[in-house]
Amino acid sequence: MFERVCVLLATFPMFVSGSVSCGLASTWLESVVLSINIVKEGFHRELVFEIRHDHAPCDVQVLLVQGLPSGVYIDQYQLASLREDTGLQVLLDSAVDVEDPAYASSGFSAMVYLSSPGLLQAVVPFHGRYHRPSTSGGWEQVPISSPRLLLRPEHCKTVTPTPPHKVVEAPCTVHNESLCSWLEIEGLQVLGFVSLEFPVGDFTLAAPVCAGTALVTMLCCAFLLRTIWKHGTF
Amino acid sequence: MARATHTVLWKLLNVRVLYTVAFVLRIVLVGFGVYQDKTMVVKYTDIDYHVFTDASRFVTKGESPYKRSTYRYTPLVAWMLSPNLYLTPHFGKLLFVTCDVVCGALLHCLLTLRGSSSEAACYFSALWLLNPLPIGVSTRGNAEAVLSLLVLSTLLCLELKRPLIAAFLYGLSIHMKIYPVTYGLAIALSIASQGPSGGRWMFQRLFNKDLLQFAFVSGTVFFGLTLAFYFMYGWDFLHETYLYHLTRRDIRHNFSPYFYMLYLMAESEWSIVLGLVAFLPQAALLFLTSLAFHTDLPLCCFLNTAIFVSFNKVCTSQYFLWYLCLLPLVLPRLSLTVKRGVALLLLWFTGQGLWLAPAYYLEFEGRNTFLYIWFAGLLFLIINSIVMVQIVSHYIPVTVQQKKTE
Repeated sequence: MFERVCVLLATFPMFVSGSVSCGLASTWLESVVLSINIVKEGFHRELVFEIRHDHAPCDVQVLLVQGLPSGVYIDQYQLASLREDTGLQVLLDSAVDVEDPAYASSGFSAMVYLSSPGLLQAVVPFHGRYHRPSTSGGWEQVPISSPRLLLRPEHCKTVTPTPPHKVVEAPCTVHNESLCSWLEIEGLQVLGFVSLEFPVGDFTLAAPVCAGTALVTMLCCAFLLRTIWKHGTF
Repeated sequence: MARATHTVLWKLLNVRVLYTVAFVLRIVLVGFGVYQDKTMVVKYTDIDYHVFTDASRFVTKGESPYKRSTYRYTPLVAWMLSPNLYLTPHFGKLLFVTCDVVCGALLHCLLTLRGSSSEAACYFSALWLLNPLPIGVSTRGNAEAVLSLLVLSTLLCLELKRPLIAAFLYGLSIHMKIYPVTYGLAIALSIASQGPSGGRWMFQRLFNKDLLQFAFVSGTVFFGLTLAFYFMYGWDFLHETYLYHLTRRDIRHNFSPYFYMLYLMAESEWSIVLGLVAFLPQAALLFLTSLAFHTDLPLCCFLNTAIFVSFNKVCTSQYFLWYLCLLPLVLPRLSLTVKRGVALLLLWFTGQGLWLAPAYYLEFEGRNTFLYIWFAGLLFLIINSIVMVQIVSHYIPVTVQQKKTE
C-alpha cells in the first residue's frame, strides 16, 4: 500500500516488470534539512544529528554517512553497548584503533541508520586522539566535513533515480548483510558548522621539559640511593 | 561515645567478623554495580571486565582471545572467566572479590609469622580488607586481586620454607604480569643467604642447590606457559601480553614523571635514548634495594614495587594496588608516629589530587593544562620518594627487634 502511494507521488514513470521500484518526490526531498551540533568539551564529545522534513508520504530509511578525520575516533565497543541501551545504530566502515595517536591513524566513516516514523535524531559519541605537539600555539584544529544524507523508502531495496540526486550503493542496515541502493541528496541544507580543536603539547618547551624531568628524576633517585645505602644491610 | 566506638572497633578486629564484613561489603557492591549498570548512564563496571568477557567468548568458541582489541593479558584470564558465559556474567567479579578476601587472609598469616599478635594482624590486614581502593577495583571487575594473591602466596610459601611451591607461584605471577620479575634478585639473594655461607662472597652463594631448584621450577612454569600459548595463539600472544607492556611508551597523560617528555619527543630520534635514560634510575634503585633488603623479603618487594611504579615510563592508578597489598606487611615494623604516618598519607593524596585536577581539565574540559600535568607528575615523584625515604629510615629490621626481646 505504502509503496504504491510513494510511486504515485513520483514524477517519473515507474516500470512494473516483476519488481516494483520506489521513488521519492523531488519537492519532498527539497524540504529535508539536516542540522549538526557538537556537544560536550574536551576529548570526549558527541555529534548530534537532527533531520527535519515535511510530512513524509511513506516511511523512509535514512543513512547519514559521516566522514571523520584521523584526529578523532569512535569506540566500536561503546557503540555496541549503546545499541543495546538506546537503540543507536551506527556502523563503522573500518576497524578503528582506539589508542593510536592522530599521526599514526587514518580517517574513517560512520554510518548512522535512522528510520521514520520516529525521531530522526542521533547522538553519536566520539573521542579525540592525541596529536603531534605544535610549535605555535597549543591547539590543533580538526575540521569535520558535512555528512552525506542517503534516503530509501522503507521496504524498498532499490530506489528510483530523482535528478539531480544520485543513486549510490550502501549497506541496507547496521548489520551490514547486504547492499541496497540509496538516494544521495545533492545540495543538502546543512545547519551548524562543525570544527573542533584539541589541546596539544608545546614542542618549543621540549628542551626544558627533558632537562627538568631528567634533573628531578636523577635527584629523587640519588636521594633514595643515599637512604638505601645508609639503612640497608649489606 | 568514644568508648562505644572503641568497643565496635575492637569487635571488628575479631577474625570472623572482619572477614564476614569484608566479604559482605564486596558482595553488596557487586550487586549495586549490577543495578547501576542497568539503570544509570555512568556504569559501575570497568571497561576491562567487558574486555575479559569478550575475550572469554572468543576462547569458548575455540578462537584467540586477542581478537578482542585491547585484551592485553594472559589467555589464562580469559579461560578463568569462561563461566561468565555459562553460569552468570558476574562470575568474574565474584572470583576477583573472593581472591581479594583471600589476600586479606594471606596477609594475616604472613603478619603472624613475622611476629605480630593476632589482634595486630587483624588490624593491619583490615587495612586491605576494608580499604576502598582494593574493594572498588575488584568489585568493578579488575583482575588485580588475582596477581596480589599470587605475589602474597609466593611470599608466604617462602616464609614457610616451601620453596618449590613458591617457585611455581612465582613463575605463574610473572606469566600474568611482568613486574614481579623485579623481585627476582631479592628472592635469589634471600634463598642463597639461607644456604651455607662458609666465607663465600654473596654472588658465589648464588650457585646453591635450593636456588637452582627455584630458578628451574619458576623458569619451567614461565617458559612452559609462554611456549604453550605461543603455539596456540602465535605472535599476538607475545605481543599483547609482554612486548606491548615492555615497549609501551603511552603518550597519553598518566602519573609518570616522564609523560610530557615522552609525548613531546615521541617522533624524535632521541626517543630511544630518552627511553633508556628513563630506565637507568629504575634499574639502579631496584638493584641496590634488592642487595640492601633481601633479608626482609616483604619490605624488599614492597620497595621494589613502589620504586618500579614511581619511576616507570607509564603509571596508572591500577599500579598502586601492586604495592598496596604489601604495605600491611611493612607497617608493623615502622617506628613512625601515627601523626607522621597520617601526614605522609595526606601528602600522597595531595600529590594525587594535584595531578587529577589538571588531568580532568585536559580530558573533559579541553583546556591546555599539559604544563600543570607535567609539574604535578614531577611533584608526585618527589612525594613518592619522600614517603619511601621515610619508610626506609623508620623501619626496624628483625635483628634489632630480636636483640631487644633478648
